[in-house]
Parts: sequence; structure tokens; C-alpha cells
Amino acid sequence: MAEPARDLVQIRGLGKVFESRKGLFGKSRSLKAVSAVDLDIPRGKVTGVVGESGCGKSTLARLVVRLLRPSEGRITFDGVDLQQQSNTAMRRLRRRIQMVFQDPYSAIDPRYTVADALLEPFQVQGIRLPAAEARAKVAGLLDMVRLGREMAGSYPHQLSGGQRQRIGIARALAFKPDFLVLDEPTASLDVSIQAQIIALLEQLKAELGLTYLFISHDLGLVRYFCDRIVVMYLGRVVEILPEPRAKPRHPYTRTLLESTFAPDPNQRRDISRLTGEIASAYELPAGCAFAARCAFADETCRARVPELMTDASGHATACFHPLN
Amino acid sequence: MALLEVRDLSIDIAGIKPLDGIGFAVDRGQILGLVGESGSGKSLTALSVMGLLPLIGGRVERGSIRFDGAELTQLSEPELRRLRGRRIAFITQNPMTSLDPVMRVGAQIDQVSRLHLGLDAKAAAARSIGLMERLRIPAAATVYHHYPQELSGGMKQRIVIAMALSADPDLIIADEPTTALDVTIQAQIIQLLVELVRDRGVALVLITHDMGVVAQACDRVVVLYAGRVAESNSVREIFASPRHPYTKALIGCIPRDGMAPGSLAGIPGSVPSVARYPAGCRFNPRCSEVLPLCPEVVPPLERMPSSGEVACHAVAAKVSHG
Repeated sequence: MAEPARDLVQIRGLGKVFESRKGLFGKSRSLKAVSAVDLDIPRGKVTGVVGESGCGKSTLARLVVRLLRPSEGRITFDGVDLQQQSNTAMRRLRRRIQMVFQDPYSAIDPRYTVADALLEPFQVQGIRLPAAEARAKVAGLLDMVRLGREMAGSYPHQLSGGQRQRIGIARALAFKPDFLVLDEPTASLDVSIQAQIIALLEQLKAELGLTYLFISHDLGLVRYFCDRIVVMYLGRVVEILPEPRAKPRHPYTRTLLESTFAPDPNQRRDISRLTGEIASAYELPAGCAFAARCAFADETCRARVPELMTDASGHATACFHPLN
Repeated sequence: MALLEVRDLSIDIAGIKPLDGIGFAVDRGQILGLVGESGSGKSLTALSVMGLLPLIGGRVERGSIRFDGAELTQLSEPELRRLRGRRIAFITQNPMTSLDPVMRVGAQIDQVSRLHLGLDAKAAAARSIGLMERLRIPAAATVYHHYPQELSGGMKQRIVIAMALSADPDLIIADEPTTALDVTIQAQIIQLLVELVRDRGVALVLITHDMGVVAQACDRVVVLYAGRVAESNSVREIFASPRHPYTKALIGCIPRDGMAPGSLAGIPGSVPSVARYPAGCRFNPRCSEVLPLCPEVVPPLERMPSSGEVACHAVAAKVSHG
């Protein structure tokens, strides 16, 4: 029997352009949120996507779960081309591809009890569960995210932020998915709760054999939690670290690392060299988007976009002057 | 005597008592970190020092806030107003709460020095542009004429810092000044604040939930939990040998280099809301070192033989048993 392919998800040439208009009669302008992304997501691993505002990480997440349709490119999930699927087929596939959002409060209807919220995915999928089975499902999902079963009758406003995010995760698990896209699932939580949620995600991954795409702005967290790290800047992948401790070669990744403060006063960073602002995604420069902030940039960088080149170790860098 | 000394501060907001016996001191040229999770009382402490509690219907119930020899809790509102913005500056998390959206940013910075230092329009503008350059705002003379919404978040926060510096204050209270910013911008702003303290000898109270920011910037640290001080010490001691179980657990929640997978555990439960503070030590339901005494008796903040102060029965028991 053939082994399943190593990669659960393959992304090729993915791009997304948003058109917007300033005012009713204003000129329309387009925003390239994601450009030319090629990415393989290996089974059973945590692939981290890290970057700052406007880097396209959340757009990428929404494209992968097909909450957004790409402007160009292709996404293949377990050998199936998502672009070729009818709406009905896509709805069935969604059982295997789920998303956890940053703000669990806005993801759950405030008038729903926890039990209602956990059963909503079945409703959406047009599955009617007999009462006893529904109760068992709710109890099983609450167990899975380590919440007490008595919580089934609570409303979202009665829960803490951490409990709400556990409900968000439980909902995503309702159909025993293969693949979870986690879009900043801990960004609005206190660190003590963030650590609980990360620990839960680690346990669930081991128990259920899940594959994660983990979106975050926090390089420290991504380096702890992820097997591979994809770094994005203004819509493009600029570097892929094949393992979390790999030394960054792209000047932007280096900058990001230097800006991430370690919880250790003996490791204070020298950040006096850091300058510059992130450019607007509406007015992308012709060449490398990081060139304006980069100490190593030259004419080539400002004229041409560097291609993402992968070496034998799987380390990919899009830079004309990679660091050693 | 330190420039700012807060002692045994307790406040009352409509019968609720969110702060209980907060104390700390900060001197010129020093950065004090007030650290804690949401609901720890960090921002209320800032509002108390600024004398702004009446804005939210609160008042100081007990304790003292001494600034450069003056007892702030005894000052009238006009007297406080002369201090605020002039000698004590406040930087908030969201720059848009401090900026007027329909006024050019330069004019907003000018206002501060015109009001507090009595400068004329020309002198104020020159001073503002100078400050903006100091804060590494590129093309400061042009940005001076911009409106806030034309600027990025990081630039807006620099304008707010320029406003804070404009009257040459002795003390700056910065409440999560970089929380809303991207990390590369946060790093630049923190660097600027550290330089200001070193070069100008300002005292800075840096309120943050981010232990990385604390480790990078602060000299001393006060860890707050549910409206009380859990522990205070120098930044080196806090990270090298945290004593309070909450401080230890909080540091353990931050991923750091070399941490094995699965070693991030978090702290069970969540921070209690003001209305439901547990009796005794407020951390006791989440604590891994809890003693029978803890849910009954509030642990006093005790000076440790080596350095720092800790409010914990378990630590006190260990210290007294040598």
C-alpha cells in the first residue's frame, strides 16, 4: 500500500488581492495581501507562520480554510485540489479542515449556551443528532478540552477568556479534523492562560494526530511550539526555517529575532540599530519589500523581488544578500 | 527619599476595593516595572498616582503617594493639574486616546510647552520639532504638519512620547506603551524610553504585562497579583531567583530558548474578578505551594534577608526555618 504523501497541504503560487475604494466615488486601489506563496504543510507537524501587521499571515490562514477565495494559485489538501470542489464537496471537506480564531468571544453567538455552540457545527453540516447522542458529543468535546461537563449550560459571558478559547477549540474538533488552522489563538489571553492553551494544543496534537498551521506575531512562542517556521513580510514568504532553532539568514528574520525580548535581564538586546517602519501594503516597492529597512540593501534589492531559494536542509530564503 | 514613593495604597471605587496596600518607590534615572496580568491593578495604580481616580468614580481610601516631597493625596485638583503634564507625564497604551484626531500633531505637542512652560508659538514649534527628531521621527518638520490618522501606530506613539517630554517632566508613567505595536516597532520605542531615562534622568514607571519588556528595560520590578504586591526586587533577582510562587509560575509561562516541548504548563485557573477575590492570599486557589494558612490569612509583604520583598506564607515559613 502506498504511504500517504508527506505533505497534507500543498500551496502553489497563492495570491490574494483586495480591491477597495476610498469613499463612494474615490479611486479604487488594490492591496496585495498575499503574493506568490509556495508552501508545503507536513502531516503531524506544527508549521508556524510569523510576521507583523500587514504581512498577510491571517489572509493566508483564511485562504487555506477557504474562508477567502484566492486571486491566483492553488491549494491541495490531501491530494484534492480545493479550487475544483463544488460547494457541497467543499462543505464535506471542511469537516477535516478547521479553524480556531483569535477572539473566541466573537466566534460564539452570545445567545448560545456552550452546548448549543458545540452542536452548531453539526447543524451547519445538516446533521441531526438524537438528544442522547448530542449530550454525549457535548460531554466528549468538553472532556477533550479539559472543561467540566457542568459547563454545557453556561453562556459565553459567564466564561473566562481561556475557557472561551477552549470552547473555540472544542468546536473545531467536533468532526475529528485532520488539520487545524490556528489564527493567533492566544493573542488576546494573559500569558498564564496562553501557556495553558498551548499545553492543551500540544496534548491534543499528540492524542489526535493533528496537523497544525499556527499563525502568530510572537516569534518566541513560535520557536517554542512549532516544528518549522515560515516568516512573512508584506505578503510574501521571506524565509522558512526547517527547524525552530535554525539560524535566520534573512535580515528581516534577524531583526524580528533581535526585537523579541528574552525573559532574562542577562540577555538584553542591543536594538540601537533598529530603524524604519513597515511600508503600507497599498504602496509596495518594486523590489524586496524589506529593502527600505535593510542595512544590506543595494540597487538589485530595490529593483527586483528576490526569489525564495531552498537549500538541501530545507532552509529557504528570499534574499540577495543572505546572512551566514 | 525617592522621587516617587507610594505606600500602602488602597483605593475604593463604588464600594469595590481593587487595590490593597500597594507600595513601591522610583528614583530619577530609574525604570520601575509594574508587572501583572489583566486585573492585577496595574492601570489603576497609574490612575491613582496621576490623581485621576475621580474620573472613574474612585478615591484613595488609605495610604500615601509622595512625589518630590509633596503628598499627592492631599493636593487639590488645581494643584494636581499643575503637576500633571508638567512634572508628571502619562503615556497610554492607545495613542489615539491621547491625540486629538482633528488637530495637527505638531500643534498638539506645542500646546504642552506653551501651557506649561509659557513658550511662544515659534519657540514651541522649534522645541517640538527638536523633540520629534530626538525620537527619530524621519522628516520631523513635515510630520509636524500631519494629522494623527496619517501616521502609523509607532509614529503616533512617538508623538505621544514627544508630548509627554515637552514640559520636561521628572516622572513618566507609561501604561503598556508598546502593547498595541508590532514587535520591531515595540523594540524601537522601548529603546527610546530607556535612552530618555539614562540621558535625561527622568524616572519611569513602566506598566506592562510582558516579562520580556521587563527583562529588557527595567531596573526594579514590582509584581502585582489581584490588586496586591506579590513580590518586588531588582530585575536581576526577580528573574534569577523569583520567590513568590506566582512570580515563578509567571516566568515559567514564557517560552524561552532551550525549553523542551511540553514544558510550558501555564497557571491553572484564571485571575479572579474584583468581586470574587478569595479570602487570605488571593493567589491561593491557583498556587502549587499552598499551606492551610493561605486561604485564611492575608500574607504580609515582608522584607527578605538578602533583598526584595515577598508576600507569601510559604516563603516566610522557609525563611524562618533557615
